[in-house]
Amino acid sequence: MTPNAASASSAPSRRSSPSRRSFLASTAVAAAAVAGGMPLLTACGGGQEGRKEGTTSGKAAQKILPAFVASSVVAPDIPAKNGSAAGFTRAIAMDQLKTSVPKKLGSGGKLKIMAPLWGTPPDNGNPYYKAMNEAIGVDVTWQNQDGNTYDEKLGAVLASSDIPDVVVVPGWNLMGKIPSAINAKFADLGPYLSGDKVKDYPNLAAVPTDAWQRAIFGGQLRAIPMPASYVTNIAPFYRKDVFDKKGWKLPKSTDEFLAWAKEATDAKGGVWACSDMKWTAFNAFGVLNGSDKALWWNLQGGKLINRVETEEYLEALEWARKLFAAGVVHPDDKAGKTTNPASNRFTAGKLLVYNQDLSDWYGKTSEQRTQNPDFEMAAMDIFTHDGGNPLLWAVQPSNIFTFISKKASKQQIKDFLAIADFCASPYGTKEWLLTNYGAETTDFTLKKGVPNKTTQGVNEVVGAFDYTGDPAPFVAHPDFPEVTRGMVEWQQRMGAFTKKSSFYGLTITEPSRWSNLADNFEQLEDDVVRGRKKVGDVQQAVSDWKKQGGDDLRDWYRKLLDDTGSAK
Amino acid sequence: MSAVVERPPLAQEKPSRWAAPPRPAWEEEPARAGLAAKGLVLGIACFAILFPLWIVIVTSLSPKKVIDETGGLVVLPKGITFVAYRELLGGGQVQRAALVSLGVTLVGTLFSMAVSVLCAYGLSRRGSLGHRWILMTLLATMFFGAGLIPTYLLVQALGLTDTYLALILPSAVSVFNILVLRGFFMGISSELIDSARIDGAGDWRILWQIVLPLSRAVLAVITLFYAVGYWSAWFNASIYLTDQKMMPLQNVMIQLVQKQERPVGLATQINTGQLSPLAVQMAVMVLALVPVAVLSPFVQRHFKKGMLTGAIKG
Amino acid sequence: MTSTVPRSKAEAKRTPAASGVTGRRGQGGRLSLRIRFRRDRTLILMTLPVLLLLLVFNYVPILGNVVAFQDYDPYLSDNGFVAMFQSPWVGLDQFQRVFQDTEFWHAVQNTFVLFFLQLVLYFPIPIALALLINSVIRPRVRAVAQAVMYLPHFFSWVLVVTVFQQIFGGAGVIAQTLRQHGHSGFDIMTDPSVFKYLVTAQMVWKDAGWGIIVFLAALAAVSTDLYEAAAMDGAGRWRRMWHITLPALRPVIALLLVLRVGDALTVGFEQFLLQRQAVGPDASEVLDTYVWWNGIRNQDFSYAAAAGLIKGIVGLTLVLVANKVAHLMGEQGVYEK
Repeated sequence: MTPNAASASSAPSRRSSPSRRSFLASTAVAAAAVAGGMPLLTACGGGQEGRKEGTTSGKAAQKILPAFVASSVVAPDIPAKNGSAAGFTRAIAMDQLKTSVPKKLGSGGKLKIMAPLWGTPPDNGNPYYKAMNEAIGVDVTWQNQDGNTYDEKLGAVLASSDIPDVVVVPGWNLMGKIPSAINAKFADLGPYLSGDKVKDYPNLAAVPTDAWQRAIFGGQLRAIPMPASYVTNIAPFYRKDVFDKKGWKLPKSTDEFLAWAKEATDAKGGVWACSDMKWTAFNAFGVLNGSDKALWWNLQGGKLINRVETEEYLEALEWARKLFAAGVVHPDDKAGKTTNPASNRFTAGKLLVYNQDLSDWYGKTSEQRTQNPDFEMAAMDIFTHDGGNPLLWAVQPSNIFTFISKKASKQQIKDFLAIADFCASPYGTKEWLLTNYGAETTDFTLKKGVPNKTTQGVNEVVGAFDYTGDPAPFVAHPDFPEVTRGMVEWQQRMGAFTKKSSFYGLTITEPSRWSNLADNFEQLEDDVVRGRKKVGDVQQAVSDWKKQGGDDLRDWYRKLLDDTGSAK
Repeated sequence: MSAVVERPPLAQEKPSRWAAPPRPAWEEEPARAGLAAKGLVLGIACFAILFPLWIVIVTSLSPKKVIDETGGLVVLPKGITFVAYRELLGGGQVQRAALVSLGVTLVGTLFSMAVSVLCAYGLSRRGSLGHRWILMTLLATMFFGAGLIPTYLLVQALGLTDTYLALILPSAVSVFNILVLRGFFMGISSELIDSARIDGAGDWRILWQIVLPLSRAVLAVITLFYAVGYWSAWFNASIYLTDQKMMPLQNVMIQLVQKQERPVGLATQINTGQLSPLAVQMAVMVLALVPVAVLSPFVQRHFKKGMLTGAIKG
Repeated sequence: MTSTVPRSKAEAKRTPAASGVTGRRGQGGRLSLRIRFRRDRTLILMTLPVLLLLLVFNYVPILGNVVAFQDYDPYLSDNGFVAMFQSPWVGLDQFQRVFQDTEFWHAVQNTFVLFFLQLVLYFPIPIALALLINSVIRPRVRAVAQAVMYLPHFFSWVLVVTVFQQIFGGAGVIAQTLRQHGHSGFDIMTDPSVFKYLVTAQMVWKDAGWGIIVFLAALAAVSTDLYEAAAMDGAGRWRRMWHITLPALRPVIALLLVLRVGDALTVGFEQFLLQRQAVGPDASEVLDTYVWWNGIRNQDFSYAAAAGLIKGIVGLTLVLVANKVAHLMGEQGVYEK
């Protein structure tokens, strides 16, 4: 009954949810799927299927990747910039909705889809599923599995010879031997999507190339990716209403933050300055991104460096430790996982700053608006160790993947792509509205032109089709235009300081003998910031890591870089 | 062989259920200090349990506003709403799932009890052929487990996935329960059994007419153990079932909690601020206690002191 | 018809009439196998359903533990079962990996410490509570006290931890009350040095009340005649408890104790995972979380299987030793001599 922190979000703002999940999964003790896991076995640069390690990039990837044809159905109010999502602040009237799938692509065949779901799955045959099936032209039977036990279910199902036609695999489930299972059990979509072939599916052609690159598993294009913005998703949120009232200025540097935190903490009054700020500390000190093992590496001064070897890593931990030592972190956040997440203390005013996925901005604001009109939150720009501009590292541009079984017929694969294309239709189209809100009157009603789900809609439109196809990243909250603007502009400001590390955008399979090598660093970080271990212990762990294979792994990555090159 | 406790005529005696029944003549009056100490210990134990339970219940009944202001579990009630319970019990899914759970629990418990009682009795006669080997066979399974993948492949190969049998058969036997049953069966006076045997009774008849009637208390306990096991199981269902219509209550409850926790969920109740995920979670906990409260008196009926006479040697 | 051949010397002594009738003794004073089978076939038949279930649902999948001697990849073949024949054999390498990991030994050490704490601080409590409840004669008080004590067993661990955090945590009810009265707060929920006592207390709170019910069942079977007779002989309250009640509980206590010792390496799982971040793995790592963290979570099935086999062998050994000790102390334990 452990409520997993990784929960599904639904419709409009789910653009940023994939990375949110991987972040949560990596901090959630019970889920503990260390972010990103270790992707994937792949034939180095080869088109042949294999169980080898490595990745595919450069020329080999160019042959496989689908062509990109931008969609111009609806122009966003805030166009994407610096890697941000596109922002839509207005609702689009029903009679102005465009059509992006003019002709039904499905053949009327049947498909079984297994996908994780955090919530109550509706029964198959409900009106929303029926309407979707009818519109796409494929008879889908859903197997919506409990997201909390999905990794176990997935491991067992893939080991049997009877797997569902279509399987959704989140990036954080790509642990251990799952990548090899993917290469062995799922079909190559290259013959249907590579190069110009994707143009048969215009919505899929508008999916950014970065996201497709991640979908290359075992040297073949095997997945439909769920695109996400590459700008870091971890935002330090603050109570804007409280800051304004007290006249506090936003901290520009880590020292300012610590000084502010000491002033703001009032333990007697039950108010603490912040939650565990480890993730923000990494961003403040410019530490290489930790959300995917491949992103831990970067070529610096002609040498591949791992994030744990950097001076910044130690400094960030040392600063986060100071916060705990100063007693400005809420004790419940020191204890970690209970049923009561930091955001609850934040809305209650017991906590003034916490860091979380950017999507919380909309989630918490909309939740509090009706009953707590004074509540106002915002994301502060990432402050830095020296008060200057931050140095941020890009996260992976897609992290949820959908596959189709190798045993599927040609027709079934085409039906699968029909679903994916339909679900990837952009904001402002009839297809998008049906996918995300269902049918008018039964599933949603219009309130000042903004669609609002009915009870039936809430129960039936729960995001099953979310994973099977998605357009380029966007944020659309017409009910809170100022939040939409805030989110996208934060991404754009931070995006300006974001760099891509050497293995950005690649799905890489480390050799299995080293794949668990760095697993314990995350726990060590928690020990250090909570004062149970010293920074010196990290240095010791790093030198052990080097000896036990870290240096060999470095050579391996180096060879990969020399042989196949970066994503672009 | 007859029950010693006399049952007082209920009609007149009812008001005195809180009071002490008359003591047997041979029992001395208790010392005041002893009584006080006993009361104190029981009182502390009950308080240690009821105070947290109070917090859980109050939180489950609190409006979202109150929970938001507290930032966590609520100790002092400020306003009451049943919205969390309505959300949980309102959907048709819960009723259906409750029926599923009830059915699986009933059938499963009956089945488990039948095979366990037979096995426990079969092993309870001293010196019977092969009983040590059989015991060791049972005991080993307590220490060596199988991984999920081989178990899943087996259940699938037997065609049990997506059937209710998958919720019963793989977990039907608890060796611990069998050993406890056996221990109690072995405590039954052998004179009784031997004399029955001399009278020509076979093992079936001895089990049915002597052993079972003398073991009501332990049978009640083990039945409860099995029933609680089936009722609260959820992992097997999440692995072996794919059809939402077949899901038992526990799984549906977990889903409902997750549904409320959705961070950006457009679930209308959350957006209009009536429903707190924390309240839903606490309400699930409270609902989980209902079957216990219902079952408890039935089990306790079998615990009457000295209900069975001469059953246990010693 | 079941024959009336005695099954043991004891039984033979008690039923002299029966022993001569059909008992044909084999060599060395033992009955021949055929006769014993004829005599006991009903009993063996009765165990068959359970044996069959265990064979199918336990022993067959347990065979999957051969992967402990492999580097198993269930996805090598179309079916994970077939893959077992294709995965490379590595002999005892996996066991060596387990034994060479200092964290494994650390987890074992934590596990044993917690086991002994549970044995001393947890195990006697249900017995004491059962005696206490049994001594209450007011039916309503008894019923209410019993029902209340069962309840916490049905709380999930995550709720138990949350409630403890809310009461004993650094921002909990107690700490805040202290602060408001000018004292400094305290936080036992994130203090690794008291963690082992904390989790034992949580366990007592959650399960001690539930644990009493087996003992209550045993007490229900004690004849009131015995108490009356003892009272007539002048035995007081405490003497009656010592000479009648406790002996009646002894077989059950011995049985549960032996089984508990056999299960010494199992001290809890979810409870420890949930509090891992609060106190760190040094304090909270136990064997089961170790296996989960290092084997199951990252799909290192062979490693998990090797650790599982080690645990099983230790458990079985412990239960056999504990049973021997029980015999020496005159108890029958799990199985008799």
